Amino acid sequence: MDQLIQHLVNTLVLGGTYALLGIGLTLIFGIMNVVNFTHGALYTVGAYLMYLAVAALGLNFFLALPVAILGGLLFGAAIELLLLRPFRGSDIDTTMLVMIGAGIALQSGTLWVFGGVAKAIPSPFPEAPLQLGPVSVSWLRLFVLGAALGLIAVTYVMINRTRLGLAMRAAFQDADTAALMGVNVRLIDTATFALGSSLAAAAGALLGPVYVVFPQMGGLAEVKAFAIVILGGLGNITGAAIGGFILALAEELGAGYVSSGYRDAMGFLIIIAVLLYRPTGLFAKAERVG
Amino acid sequence: MRGRLTLTTAILLALAATAAGADTIRIGVNEPLTGAFAASGTYVVNGAKIAADEINARGGVLGKKIELVIEDNKSNPTEAAAVAEKLITSDKTPVMMGAWGSSLTLAVMPKLAEYEVPMLVETSSSGKITTSGNPFVFRISPPSALEAETFAPMVAKLGMKKVDFLVLNNDFGRGAAVDFGKMLKEKGVQVGMTETMDQGAQDMSAQLAKLKASDSDTIMITSAVDQLVLLFKQMAAIGLKKRVITTGGSQNPDQIIAQAGSAADGTLHLTTFLPWIPEKTPDPKATESFIGEWKKRGFQFAGVTESFRGYDGIRAIAHAIEKAGKAEPAAITKAFWAVDFTGLNGPIRFAKSGPAGKESGQSRPDVYLIEIKDGRVVVPTL
Amino acid sequence: MRRLLPLALLASLLVLPLLLQANPYLLNALIITGILTIGAMSLNLLLGFTGQLSLGHIAFFGIGAYVSALTSLGFDVEIGFGHRIVHEPWPPAAGFLLAILAAGACGYLIGRLSFRVRGAYFVIVTISFAEVVRLVALNWVELTQGPLALTGIPAMSVGVPGLGNWTLRTKLQNYYLVLAVGTLCYLLVARLVGSRFGRAMRGLKENESLALSVGINATRTLTIAAVISAAMAGAAGSLYAHYLRIIDPDVFAFSTTVSMVIMVVAGGKGTLMGPVIGGLIFGLLPVALRPVMAPEAQWIVYGIVLIVILFVMPRGIVPGLSALLARRRPAPAPLLKPSPAVQR
Repeated sequence: MDQLIQHLVNTLVLGGTYALLGIGLTLIFGIMNVVNFTHGALYTVGAYLMYLAVAALGLNFFLALPVAILGGLLFGAAIELLLLRPFRGSDIDTTMLVMIGAGIALQSGTLWVFGGVAKAIPSPFPEAPLQLGPVSVSWLRLFVLGAALGLIAVTYVMINRTRLGLAMRAAFQDADTAALMGVNVRLIDTATFALGSSLAAAAGALLGPVYVVFPQMGGLAEVKAFAIVILGGLGNITGAAIGGFILALAEELGAGYVSSGYRDAMGFLIIIAVLLYRPTGLFAKAERVG
Repeated sequence: MRGRLTLTTAILLALAATAAGADTIRIGVNEPLTGAFAASGTYVVNGAKIAADEINARGGVLGKKIELVIEDNKSNPTEAAAVAEKLITSDKTPVMMGAWGSSLTLAVMPKLAEYEVPMLVETSSSGKITTSGNPFVFRISPPSALEAETFAPMVAKLGMKKVDFLVLNNDFGRGAAVDFGKMLKEKGVQVGMTETMDQGAQDMSAQLAKLKASDSDTIMITSAVDQLVLLFKQMAAIGLKKRVITTGGSQNPDQIIAQAGSAADGTLHLTTFLPWIPEKTPDPKATESFIGEWKKRGFQFAGVTESFRGYDGIRAIAHAIEKAGKAEPAAITKAFWAVDFTGLNGPIRFAKSGPAGKESGQSRPDVYLIEIKDGRVVVPTL
Repeated sequence: MRRLLPLALLASLLVLPLLLQANPYLLNALIITGILTIGAMSLNLLLGFTGQLSLGHIAFFGIGAYVSALTSLGFDVEIGFGHRIVHEPWPPAAGFLLAILAAGACGYLIGRLSFRVRGAYFVIVTISFAEVVRLVALNWVELTQGPLALTGIPAMSVGVPGLGNWTLRTKLQNYYLVLAVGTLCYLLVARLVGSRFGRAMRGLKENESLALSVGINATRTLTIAAVISAAMAGAAGSLYAHYLRIIDPDVFAFSTTVSMVIMVVAGGKGTLMGPVIGGLIFGLLPVALRPVMAPEAQWIVYGIVLIVILFVMPRGIVPGLSALLARRRPAPAPLLKPSPAVQR
């Protein structure tokens, strides 16, 4: 029983960052119809920016986090302007390949700049965990969960309560009509990609201190993000948020009670099962695109 | 079309030409510089460079400078074999050092037999390496059975009753679990579960939850430094407080102290080098000069426990080339048997190991038990 | 011209080793490039001719490699409830055939799937498939040795009953083996594409509803294409295992799929020569770049080159160059007709 509660606590912490990753990816797919293969690389970039800010520049941990997120935002905007805008109107396969090329270049770039040796980000939280009866959870992980939930809430408000969000939702449903109504669709694309990228960077910046930072860390994160997005239905933001927690739960329980070696297989098995039996995702709505 | 093809051919031939020539003795270095073991591999390579510079400053070997040809095996066995192939066939190195991990070294070994080129193994600990009948392998690191043997007298003093293992899912980790398990059973210690983890794994909470629930008093862990840091942090996070002993000598205790902080307090480590107490090492003067040079180059002290292997490895190779009198694979293979000098962790001379007629060389380095206490490395009094 | 190019290339490749014999390193690079090129040709069948982007193609390659290796090494594995499967080593040639069959069977599954899920879904499901297979290879240590790698895989041997048995140990032998299998695969694809079945594939790619309305069975066509494509990739994987004589779960690395995709897209998807030219260029590029720059810098170049090619020659090098050549020449060569017919 204690072990189960411990697994559930771990699920919450992990699920928060998974949800961040998934929301970023599903946003970009839903609005731009682009499968973003730079998502993992941007997650890595976020973690390295956090490392640079904390370890190299000596910035305060809590100040470094927004710096990393902002960095991800700028990176995303640059990718959209330089690489996606010229390919507007190309088919989804072409933009997918462009994104693969960009992802490879970015990942190898971090390897080139930072080397292959993993880096640790020091955190200001005490090493001793918070003890709640039989369950213990580290303060850092609690902070990660809180920050992730906060960022999800901000994203939600931004999409549902602001003018930019309204324009995004309009472009999501019908880009052509939105353009006719005076929405600057190109600007929306840039904003969407930047927002999605900043969420990936945020996930990296949050998990970086929990684990270690290394150039290949984005690879697995990216495939997990795909799993979450498929689980929730492509383009479904609420679905992605819930999908993040479901994937975390499946991984925790799979590793705890089946075999720790197959922990990472859970995500892929979920993808295959969902696509075979419910290809539109678990939370399909009419608004789903793709 | 044909034009493009002849151009390709021309490029290929030009590349082929650059590989030959040059008036140096080339030594191949096959180490993980990216991937899961990047930190350790980089330390070893930096140690190797110090040895090479030192030897060259003294005039080189056989009147020629030595040149390290360093290649990244990406912590991957197939890549390690490909690197060996490249070093032998393209760079024409008559002798190599590598390949850090046991699975990496085992992957390289058939290439050694195929091309009859010797390799000095500086880190790997799997017993299989020197018992499988490959006469081109010369190892200066202790196999895990030797580590277990050295550790045996301490078992009773530590009061160990039941031990669980948490090891890397490869030859390095599994080999250690088998060899230590055997020794512990002989000493009357109960051996519980053996949990494994992938070399790239970042989250070991599931394994740790199982180990926390077990009734053992000690966990023996075999992995490299990056994963150990994560493990200690995650152990602290779930409140797992058992005696921890790590094996394999790739712990870099100072890096653990720096990165895991108080989470590493009280952990015990089997290591093969004592840079903290140079006066207790077999060759204090050499130890001090090596550490001095390491610091002078701006490397972190933490890397010393790993980099000395690269340093000693290249020194052993230089001795072998000197004794061989020429930089040719067959002569160097033969000369390895005559190598005899004091390395930073004990005498380096090779004893025969493995099936008769095809023996590998195995040196017998010192093994020490150290403890991390209040953020410092101490030798525990047992 | 059409027929001359492949023939000239084949002739060059046949004599190339005579020039390189002294250099096993370059021969090695050519063999690996050749094996990957076969993989690219098989991927082209799906990506280029049916328009299905499979980003899990390495799964078929890796399954071929593992099936072939395990067939020739033998294994003894428990399958639960106390039952064991014990397999005595068979000759590598049997492994080669089983690799083709096993990969083809997996191709059948993916082919059936591709009818259910298309576009981005298909891409992601194929990636997931490859990752699951990789994780099985990593964790089923009793069978695959996991990260310990399968070592000591025997070299490929070919035997003719009554005439004897030859084991292909040297690089030169392996080079010609790869060249022979590659040529066979090329001819197979050429034959297939030129047939009625090829027209059905292209019809589905160009205009699915039209193709369906004229009675093309989409499921059947896509499934057959996937099976053949996977079987060819499996054959390449088998060659890889018996040439390197060691494989580990990283054989399933996503980056290898990406390499194959780059070869196909850069060379020209949907053309016969595209993957071959793309394969030779991108397979040998690392060899050429090696003395000039570090490996990570090479991959940066790789990524940028992919983007530039998509930008400058969205249809690939082979169609792009032939269009260029044609523009210069007064008499247009037949291969640049913008017809949906296959460009060679």
